[in-house]
Amino acid sequence: MAKITNKSWLTFEGGRQSEPCLWKMATRFPGVMFDIRQASVQKDIGIMAVLFEGEEDEVKAAQDYLREQGVRVDPVEGGSNVAG
Amino acid sequence: MSYVKSLRCKECHTDYELGPLTVCDNDFGPLEVAYDYEAMKGKVTRASIEAGPRSLWRYKDLLPIEGEPKAGFNSGYTPLIKADRLAAELGVKELYIKDDSANYPSYSYKDRVVSVALTKAIEFGFDTVGCASTGNLAHSVAAHAAAAGLRAFVMIPDDLEEGKVIGSLVFGPRMVKIKGNYDDVNRLCSQIADKYNWAIVNVNLRPYYTEGAKTHGFEIAEQMGWRLPQHTVCPVAGGTILPKIYKAYKEFITLGLVEDNKPKIHGAQADGCNPVVKALREGLELFHPQKPNTIAKSIAIGNPADGYYVIKDIKESGGWGDSASDQEILDAVKLLARTEGIFTEPAGGTTLACAIKLIQDGKIPRDESICVCITGNGLKTVEVMQGQFDVSPAINAKMSEFNELVSQLEETHTKANPTPASTA
Repeated sequence: MAKITNKSWLTFEGGRQSEPCLWKMATRFPGVMFDIRQASVQKDIGIMAVLFEGEEDEVKAAQDYLREQGVRVDPVEGGSNVAG
Repeated sequence: MSYVKSLRCKECHTDYELGPLTVCDNDFGPLEVAYDYEAMKGKVTRASIEAGPRSLWRYKDLLPIEGEPKAGFNSGYTPLIKADRLAAELGVKELYIKDDSANYPSYSYKDRVVSVALTKAIEFGFDTVGCASTGNLAHSVAAHAAAAGLRAFVMIPDDLEEGKVIGSLVFGPRMVKIKGNYDDVNRLCSQIADKYNWAIVNVNLRPYYTEGAKTHGFEIAEQMGWRLPQHTVCPVAGGTILPKIYKAYKEFITLGLVEDNKPKIHGAQADGCNPVVKALREGLELFHPQKPNTIAKSIAIGNPADGYYVIKDIKESGGWGDSASDQEILDAVKLLARTEGIFTEPAGGTTLACAIKLIQDGKIPRDESICVCITGNGLKTVEVMQGQFDVSPAINAKMSEFNELVSQLEETHTKANPTPASTA
């Protein structure tokens, strides 16, 4: 499986913005590196620009895990799954 | 000569060389075309613009192309109507309709953005173009690509109005219907743009594509006699046109082509898809994505790509926003048709309905100049108007039957065309 970098927007709503969703993801998927490039959090919504890097299947599994936690994961235009 | 300097990140202002790029590597902020306004001064003038073609390309110096236009030679320069009959009905002093339902060749404002995007696609050497569309963009991309001899892929939600589907297919694009709403289509197109070497106009050519929307604002200013309306009301879907109209006004002010009268920009959405308006009402800078549910399908985008900048520009300009119910939208479509002879699609009805509400609420004072941006044509979505009118049964070709019908028709006409309660 190839290594990839993936740029995504994460949207935290419905209380998710005050939960350590990314920390939980990192403990489950230590092989997936993430880098927060931009973040904005307001009273009941938070949006983050995050760069993921790792084996393609692991990155996908980590993002699926975030979705299971109620985090919306959207690809950044022109930045999804670029072979690294 | 081109006055384009770079692609610049709207967030961190990092500059990039021109290319099919969309986002900043640092913070994923959107890239926007930056120009050398100092070099334009004294060269880009009212006279130089007025000497240009009667199309959007009369503003070529303020568009991001390197050479001559390669698409959309007859797009833009649509009518600006001084809407006195509608103004009287709404009780306002000075009202204009910028009518892109008459745009060429596909009867929506999308002909502007596609003209620029396809010119840029050809400059970059692409042979295939595409789009994620709620209908009007597919129609425009298909038409312009046919005229330019480019291969086209148009990606649309599977519940689009038949008029827009057939109206696009006739130009011979590869059409991909995708189960889901526009946001699902757009998400897939982001991945397609990464995998295929295609110019997806509103994805990997987005910085250039969006610049075409400025011409709607340039034309309003020029056609009003080189001045700006105090209030501009425009629809918000993906969030392209509103920030670009505002940018157009600011560029004309920077170049000294119009006086800075602090123009206010207002956003219009449907109640069934109003993430930006809801954020404005709640005092948020960010919006909650929504699942659209409205008859105004061309603006049914629950997660607008540039929604954040729409909110920012509305606030900066001192404008506001409102949303309208499906029935208010249909009533506004009928009102515009019967007062000004313009048949717009539900998106246009939404814009007018919201303008009426903003006037009624005092957000737009009745004695100030107003421009309502009509961005699409009603002939593409006639099915939404079904059931809105009583059609009388056929009569025999006899005067007696006609005489009897005349009085009935007068009554039916009054019922079918009410004065909006909001303006009474």
